[in-house]
Amino acid sequence: MTVTARQQGLARCLSCGKLCRMPEPQAKHRAHCPRCNRAVSYRQNASLTYSWALTIAAIALLVPANMLPILTVVSFGQGDPDTIMSGVIKLWESQLQAIAAVVFIASVAVPVAKLVVMLLLMVVVQFKLPLSKQQCTLLYRFIHFIGRWSMLDLFMISILVTVVHMGNIANVESGPAALAFGAVVVLTMLAADYFDPRLLWDLEHE
Amino acid sequence: MPCGAAEGILLYNNPMTEYSTFARDSLLACPDCDLLLQVDSVPAGSECHCPRCDALVHGENTYRNDVHLAAAISGLLLFIPAVTAPVLKFTMVGQWGSNSLLSGVWRLWTESEQLLALLVLLCSVLAPFFHLLLSFGIALVLRFSRLPKTFPDWLKWHHWMQGWSMLEVYAMGIIVAYVKMLDDGDVFVGNGTYCLIGVLLSLILCNQFFREEFAWQRWEQRQQELQT
Ligand SMILES: [Zn+2]
Repeated sequence: MTVTARQQGLARCLSCGKLCRMPEPQAKHRAHCPRCNRAVSYRQNASLTYSWALTIAAIALLVPANMLPILTVVSFGQGDPDTIMSGVIKLWESQLQAIAAVVFIASVAVPVAKLVVMLLLMVVVQFKLPLSKQQCTLLYRFIHFIGRWSMLDLFMISILVTVVHMGNIANVESGPAALAFGAVVVLTMLAADYFDPRLLWDLEHE
Repeated sequence: MPCGAAEGILLYNNPMTEYSTFARDSLLACPDCDLLLQVDSVPAGSECHCPRCDALVHGENTYRNDVHLAAAISGLLLFIPAVTAPVLKFTMVGQWGSNSLLSGVWRLWTESEQLLALLVLLCSVLAPFFHLLLSFGIALVLRFSRLPKTFPDWLKWHHWMQGWSMLEVYAMGIIVAYVKMLDDGDVFVGNGTYCLIGVLLSLILCNQFFREEFAWQRWEQRQQELQT
């Protein structure tokens, strides 16, 4: 028999990890952690609402991030704007397969995988799907771990536009997709932060 | 080693006042699945994983203050050169170009990508810096047992900065940019990169050796001292 903290009227503080005794449900005041004084609740407040909102916003921004040019290399007055995908293809064709793979994983695979996993987790909680909770938790930890690596493309852009800034000879300029992509990265990171994995396990007790 | 799952009845014989809490080392809730765990049997110094979802419930309980402090100090010393010295230098038909972390942010800013510039500034400069600074402060006050009243805020900000500090990703960005430019001219690695590696190692050591739970428990002791 498994007992959760919530069933015993206990909640783990999200900020300091302290196990706090919660007031009776009818109590009007909010509980505060005795150790760090942050408001405590059984689950992340409105976890699913925030996660849905952030994920949907991120999906919407993924479209301009991939369709618009992200980087333009102008060399001796010539050069076309590159989108994320065309940049990867160019790298691949110029025999830089390893780098092409790194950029593809960081800029395409990771954001898409994160959004797909977020959608899956939220659908599981929302519609109470009987999926393996262990595996869902693994997926959750995975997207938490890899999320930050999407920033790779933006850091690379900031390096390239600064280093290759030589007037008429060669110039690298960032495109409008860069900002959209940055927003996707931040939104997906926040969405993963707001998602409370304990909601998955709560389904086991219903 | 897994901790045993707590059984429902045996826990609460004595009545408890509102918000009263258990000693951390005997009763814990799994952060990922909320399973209530009794961890009396776990020997000191070993990690404790949730039997249901395998989350790390309680890490090692040894805290090396000297390593933590030394790592934070060396990271701070290297920080200024790491963000101002050139990271990569590039030459092409007689023209030179180079970048540093800060000039990269500045270039984005002047290119009217202000929001992007702020994001890059946060993740590659501000968050790592405040992470190191707060690590230094935390290690210092723990060493001399002089916790200020704002100590919980320090710990919360430290945690937040840790999440947004992405220097390791930046380092990977340097490698990708380096290889990308190899085709078009000569690329050189600048001193900024070496300092950056040093800062990165310091950050990793800080993360490895800091025990947030230890700091919180010291704060709890301080709270009790203040009350009596
Ligand atoms: Zn668990």
